[in-house]
Amino acid sequence: MSKSLLKRFEWKDKLLALIVPLLVLVAWQSAVSLQLFSEMILVPPLTVMNTLVDLARTGDLTNNIISSLKRVLSGFLLGASTGFFLGLLMGLSSLLDRFVGPLIKACKQVPQFALMPLIILWFGIDEVSKVVFISIGAFFPMVFNTYQGVSGVPKKYRELARVFNYKSFRYLTKVILPGALPSIITGVRHSLGLSWMFVVGAELFGSESGVGYMMVWARQLFQIDIVMAGLFVIGIIGFTMNIILQIIEKRVLRWRVSFDGRMA
Amino acid sequence: MSIGKGILEIKNLSKSFIVDNNPLQVLNDINITIPPGNFVSIIGSSGCGKTTLLRIVLGLETNYEGDALIDGEQIEGPGINRGIVFQDHRLLPWLTVGENVAFGLDGKSRKETEVIVDEHLKLVGLNGFKSAYPCQLSGGMAQRAAIARALANKPEILLLDEPLGSLDAMTRMHMQKELERIWLFEKITMILVTHDVEEAIYLGDKVVIMSSRPGVIKKIIDIPFTRPRDRSSYEFMQIKSEILEEFHLGVEHPFIYSI
Repeated sequence: MSKSLLKRFEWKDKLLALIVPLLVLVAWQSAVSLQLFSEMILVPPLTVMNTLVDLARTGDLTNNIISSLKRVLSGFLLGASTGFFLGLLMGLSSLLDRFVGPLIKACKQVPQFALMPLIILWFGIDEVSKVVFISIGAFFPMVFNTYQGVSGVPKKYRELARVFNYKSFRYLTKVILPGALPSIITGVRHSLGLSWMFVVGAELFGSESGVGYMMVWARQLFQIDIVMAGLFVIGIIGFTMNIILQIIEKRVLRWRVSFDGRMA
Repeated sequence: MSIGKGILEIKNLSKSFIVDNNPLQVLNDINITIPPGNFVSIIGSSGCGKTTLLRIVLGLETNYEGDALIDGEQIEGPGINRGIVFQDHRLLPWLTVGENVAFGLDGKSRKETEVIVDEHLKLVGLNGFKSAYPCQLSGGMAQRAAIARALANKPEILLLDEPLGSLDAMTRMHMQKELERIWLFEKITMILVTHDVEEAIYLGDKVVIMSSRPGVIKKIIDIPFTRPRDRSSYEFMQIKSEILEEFHLGVEHPFIYSI
């Protein structure tokens, strides 16, 4: 298949992906036009659009996005790095895995939102508790994916490293980490995605800034247009994060072949 | 090149594994001495312990009884005086061909590494593929890269564990010629484990025949032919049928004429 043809196919896929959202938009507008619901409850799409533009113009939106992103970043860095190191150690040492593996698996079953009251009790209502909450969300996908990646590096490559006398650091950086990388990147993607969801959740529990805060406050004032604009912003930012990580993944994992034989 | 180095002596070597709490003897009283620069082929049916023998020499299997000595020293673990080519090429998929060849090099400057890699890629006929990834190579090419990687450390002994086993028949014969060329160039000891009788005779100065349960050396046959060898010559065929006889695969009245 020639390259230009391939490109065209990708464009076609992207256009196809727009059909359903457009249909939803049409249905939404029709529901408003037919006055199926009160306009207070179902705000017309155009109003949401205008609200979004207004919010952006006043700078409120940007400020809220920035304070949410700051929390995401700190929570993600804290949770994902802890998860990464613990996953790495568990993958390298089956003894440690047997000690803490089952505990972590059990903890994962607890819905993390149920921890919020405790976290507030322990860390207060301000920034720290939010960062801790986000880091818990970021921790689990990272610890499991890193563990899986590290313990899944094929025995044949470990043996090869032994033949060539690879010791600790060189072994880790040249064999284990590159071998685990696809799984680690999956972990980062899920971890960041969950961080973004958790920040909104954390902000619902009382805060003075952030996209989640903006929505809670608007709901209390019955400004449903702002709530919907907030939803839209959350979706777009989450989507963008995922796309950026996908691009990074493609670059970093150049060596993998996709099933049709093209380089990934 | 260190002439006279790389002598492998195996004396009264036995090895057993524990399977279901019972010891299973895989090698029993193996005795062989391989002088430096020799090419020795080891053949035997599956489960005769030939791969275990190779892994002992490589240093991946320890806890054996008896002696396995290289230049008089007991083998206790892997070392860079031995190189290995496995049946699967085992190139690391995340490294380029060049980086894979450099995989075993340690403590060399970037420039030295570069020179060694280029030299060995040229030796195995892979110049131009340095920055390719293993997934872009054919089976034969990947195995060439694996040979280059094993030779980059200048080992005294190169161990070949059915390196051509997964290649198609034509590529295989071609690679046998290539192995011979590389051996003549490097002048190091090579020990080849194979299933293929013809391959064993084509390449070996000696062919070691092993039989299984427990693995013992049944016979060692010297191959006196000059190189390159003609697979279809009368003498070649005769030795081949002699070896096949050992596996009870011989034909009762061989129908071979030399005119």
